Amino acid sequence: MKSARVFQLTALAMVAVSAVMVAYWMYALRSGAIERNQAARVLYSEQVAAAQALLAAGVSAERVHTTLPGILVKGEEASLAPEVDRTLAAEERRRINQFAWEGAFFLLALGICITVIARALRAEAMVLHEQDNFLALVSHQFKTPLASLQLSLETMALRPLSPEQSGALIERMLADLARMEAMVTQILESVRLERGRVDLRREPVEVAGAVARVVASLEDRAKKERVSISADLPRGVYVLADPLALDVVMRNLLENAISAVAPVGGGTVKVEGRRMDGEVEVIVRDSGVGFRPGDGGRMFEKFTRLHPGGGSSYFGTGLGLFIVRRLMQLAGGRVSAHSDGVGQGAQFVLAWPAAPAEAA
Amino acid sequence: MNAAVQPAAAVLVVEDDPHLSAGVVENLRAEGYSVHAVGDGQQALQWLAREQCALIVLDVMLPIVDGFAVCRTLREQGDNTPVLFLTARGDPADRVRGLEAGGDDYLAKPFHLQEFLLRVRAILRRWDWYRSASATPASAVLRFGGNEVDFRAFRAQSWNGVEQELTEKEAMILKVLAERPGEIVSREDLLERVWGYDVFPSTRTVDNFILRLRKRFERDPANPRHFLTVWGVGYRFMIEGQE
Repeated sequence: MKSARVFQLTALAMVAVSAVMVAYWMYALRSGAIERNQAARVLYSEQVAAAQALLAAGVSAERVHTTLPGILVKGEEASLAPEVDRTLAAEERRRINQFAWEGAFFLLALGICITVIARALRAEAMVLHEQDNFLALVSHQFKTPLASLQLSLETMALRPLSPEQSGALIERMLADLARMEAMVTQILESVRLERGRVDLRREPVEVAGAVARVVASLEDRAKKERVSISADLPRGVYVLADPLALDVVMRNLLENAISAVAPVGGGTVKVEGRRMDGEVEVIVRDSGVGFRPGDGGRMFEKFTRLHPGGGSSYFGTGLGLFIVRRLMQLAGGRVSAHSDGVGQGAQFVLAWPAAPAEAA
Repeated sequence: MNAAVQPAAAVLVVEDDPHLSAGVVENLRAEGYSVHAVGDGQQALQWLAREQCALIVLDVMLPIVDGFAVCRTLREQGDNTPVLFLTARGDPADRVRGLEAGGDDYLAKPFHLQEFLLRVRAILRRWDWYRSASATPASAVLRFGGNEVDFRAFRAQSWNGVEQELTEKEAMILKVLAERPGEIVSREDLLERVWGYDVFPSTRTVDNFILRLRKRFERDPANPRHFLTVWGVGYRFMIEGQE
């Protein structure tokens, strides 16, 4: 990796030096052409002077013209022939043009080389930086459940505990393990999604039914957290999506919504749907802790965890909303989040392309 | 604003992870501490505005207000309650940030329970020592070379009449030195008494604090008369001032 980088940087430096050399070379050639032209004009002016001397010595104009063909004799005056003057000027222009075009071409080619190498270097540096960040974030995410697990185990080792206390600790440890397992799954899933290694199906899915199934599976948890969860979607509306991906997206959003409502002592999570132009919108509203209005976009980035209320029994991995956004992008849809502020609840809007009527 | 001595030392645990918080709270309670727990930095500041405690166990990555900001806010308000940082980021730069924010100790997650309890005890012991060593009117005030230090208020007036606000570490170093005037106190001894064992990688930190004390209290910090360096060993504090 390192030697490749050294090679790339050396190539970049060599190309840059070449570009400077080509520019200097072109400048030198142009100056040379101008100097040669001027030298030729000096020679011709000497011939004009010689012709003038011959004329003064009584040599006939015809003889002078035959001896010095580039000189025009008019009466007693000798001067440079106009065609010779034109030829000299044209030659100078031709040479300068030639060098300008060739130089421009070489410089352009070298400029492209520099851009390509520099871009490759920058892209590589960004990938490395992202990988470092990703690793740092992943290890950070694991340290808290690991710390909790270690603490529970060491508590069991250190202290005499009643069967109830041991039971509670074992339950806590199992939950920590489940949390880490969920994180591993989500991390692998997010990497897979990020690298585009997914083959999503695209088939008509009835939204109301799909949402109702997710809602039903979360009702127990919602009840435990004193959250009333309800869905009101028009029946028979179909979207083009992968049924599994749609299930993952809805589950993530609804679990998030329940977690946002639990810390404020309970409330509501409502799912609504409507058909728009060529797409179907599903809106998830909750009466939970909300977030700062400016954080709506940041929430979908990896490892962003905004839990203003805290104290929830839910453990986020910081990857759920990232996966949601990626799945929505791959499905040709979109997702956005909005809140009026901390404590004001939140609203997530999902939109999938509507399935053609005949498909339904 | 400083923590009062209480029969069962009160500890505030600020941790957003419910499991870890529960584990820490249960263990501290089992050790006989009186514990209160909150889940974010804002709640911590609100609680501390109403209540007092002997120690704050503070997570760094917290929702709303992070742990460093909580600690800085407390110190700015003149609250010297000791802080033990718990964090998933354990690199040296982060440790230094935590200690610069005014933390007393720093423990990286995952940590060993016994080490955690040991550190809690060590911090409380240091503060107990400091408080008891400053308990009487005579021991609460130190006068030397025209300077006057009030250990209980963390304030001082230097020889030129300038009012000084002391940090807890400066006050503690001064206390350790003042307990043994004229004697050589090693850097390691100062580290052990003021910070605990392995918080800092080097004893240079002590040197920096001594420099700060010289700037505050010496007439000519370049030629100190009270805070004397004993090369290769440590420091000697002279109340009368060495000619």
